[in-house]
Amino acid sequence: MANTTDFKSSPGLYLIAGVVVLFVLGQSVFFLVKAWKQGKALGMDTKKLRNAVTSSALFTLPSALSVLATVIALAPALGLVIPWVRLSVIGNLMYESTAAEAAMEAFGHQGGMATTVTDPTVYAGIAWVMTLGICFSLVLLPFLAKPLHKKFLSAGKKGKTEEKAETAAQTGEKKKRSLGEFMDYVSPAVFIGLIGAFVARAIAGAGKPETFGDGAGVVSVITLVVAVISSIILELIAKKAKLTWLEPFVMPIGMIIAMVAAVAAFNLLPQDIALLEWRG
Amino acid sequence: MMAKNKTKSYFDRVHTWGRISSVTALCVLLMFPMAVCLYLGVWPEAKLVFSGLLKLIPIYWATSVIEVILYTPMLGGGGTYLSFVTGNIPNLKLPCAINAMEGAKVKATSEEGEVISTIAIAASSIVTTVILAIGVLVFAPFLDAFTNNALLKPAFAQVLPALFGALGAGYFIKHWKISVFPILVMIIVLVFAPAMGASTLLFPGIVASVAGAAVMYYTGMLDKKTDK
Repeated sequence: MANTTDFKSSPGLYLIAGVVVLFVLGQSVFFLVKAWKQGKALGMDTKKLRNAVTSSALFTLPSALSVLATVIALAPALGLVIPWVRLSVIGNLMYESTAAEAAMEAFGHQGGMATTVTDPTVYAGIAWVMTLGICFSLVLLPFLAKPLHKKFLSAGKKGKTEEKAETAAQTGEKKKRSLGEFMDYVSPAVFIGLIGAFVARAIAGAGKPETFGDGAGVVSVITLVVAVISSIILELIAKKAKLTWLEPFVMPIGMIIAMVAAVAAFNLLPQDIALLEWRG
Repeated sequence: MMAKNKTKSYFDRVHTWGRISSVTALCVLLMFPMAVCLYLGVWPEAKLVFSGLLKLIPIYWATSVIEVILYTPMLGGGGTYLSFVTGNIPNLKLPCAINAMEGAKVKATSEEGEVISTIAIAASSIVTTVILAIGVLVFAPFLDAFTNNALLKPAFAQVLPALFGALGAGYFIKHWKISVFPILVMIIVLVFAPAMGASTLLFPGIVASVAGAAVMYYTGMLDKKTDK
C-alpha cells in the first residue's frame, strides 16, 4: 500500500483474484441451496435452518474480521492480492505467514515479511510456493472423503441400534460395552482435544516475542476465563428463562464479551501486569 | 422408505458434487499462480519454487492427510468439501458446524446433522469470503488504521482464547471427565515445548483425549448415571 502504482496493485491481478473468489462464493451458495432443499425434504423446520444460517454468520463475523486483519498484515510485503486469494481459498491464519517466509527465503528476498517484494519474478514464485504448499488436501478429498464419511455414519448407526437393543433388554447391573456406543464419545473427545489445544496455548504457550498477545499471559487468561464464564451464564439464562432464541447466540455473544474484556483488561490494568506474558 | 431412498441418494449426490467441486477448486487454485505468471510475463525458476516447498511439504502435506481423516467425519459430506476449499477448519468451520448442530439439537451422524453442518459451513464461508472481498476492495486503506487502532488491538490479539473459551464452555461442563486429561497433557507438552503452535499441539491433544475417553468408557467411568 506504500506504493499504489507498483505491479502488486495492478487491476489485472485484482481481476484474477476476483475470478478465484467468485468461484469460492458460487460453490458455497451451491451447497447451501442443496442442503437447504434436502433439509426441507427431510421435513426440517425452516426456523431451524434459518437459525443455522444466522448463528453461523454471527459466529463467523469476528473471525472473518481477524482473517481480514491477517490479509492486511501481509499486505505491506506482498500487496493485497496474494493474501486475499490465499486466505479466501484453504488459507489459514497460521499457514500463510510461514509459507510466505519460506518462499521469500528460497528466492533470497532480504528482510522477510518486513520488506516489500519489488521483483515480479519473486512475487510469482511466492504465489506458486504458497499455493502448492497448501493444495494437497484437495488432491486427497475425492479419494478419501466418501469412504471416511460412510464409515463414520455406519459406526454411528451401529452405536444407536446397539444402544436401543440394550435399553430394550434392560440388562441392569452389568453394562455391555461396544465400539458403536463408544463412537458417541469420539466426536466430543476429538473436539475437546482440538479446543483444548487453543485453551492450553492461552494458559501456557509462548508467542513470538515481537507480537503482543501471541503468548499466554494475564490478558489471554482473563479473556479465556471471561469467555467460559459468560457463555455458561448465558446458557443458564437461556435454559432457565426458556429463551430458546438466545441459545444459538450464546457462543458468539460470549466471545464478543470476552473480547471486550480483553480490551478492558489491557487498558485498565497497570501496564506491567497487562503486558505480562509468562512464557515469552 | 421413500425418504430413506432419497436421503441415501443425497449422500451419493453430495459426494459426486463434492468430488467435482474439489477437482475444479484445485484447477482454479493452480490457475492463480499460472495467471500471475502469464499476466506479469515472468517465470520463476522451478528449482527455487521447490526449495521453498521443501520446507512446507513435510509439515503441511502430512497435516493435510491427518486433517482429512480427522475432520471429514465431523464435518459431514457437503461440509467437508466446502471446508477444505475455504480453509480455517479447526478455528472456524468445525466450531461453526458443531455450534449449529448443537443449536439445532442434531447429531453429526444423522441426516439432519449433515444438512445443518453443510448450511452452517456454507454460511460461514460466504460471510468470510464476502467480508474479505469488501475489506480488500473498499475498506483496505481505512482498515489498516482500524486494525492498528491501539484500543481495539488487544481484542484482535485475543480472538482465539475468546473463541475457544466461549465454544469450549458447554463442552467442558458437559464432558468434564473427558476434558481434564487432554488439557493437562497439552499444558505439560507446552511446558517442554512452549512455542508449539496450536495446529501442531492439537494432534497430541486429540490422541490424549480419545485415548483418555476410551479408557474411561471401557472402565465404566463415563456411564450415564454418574456422568450426569
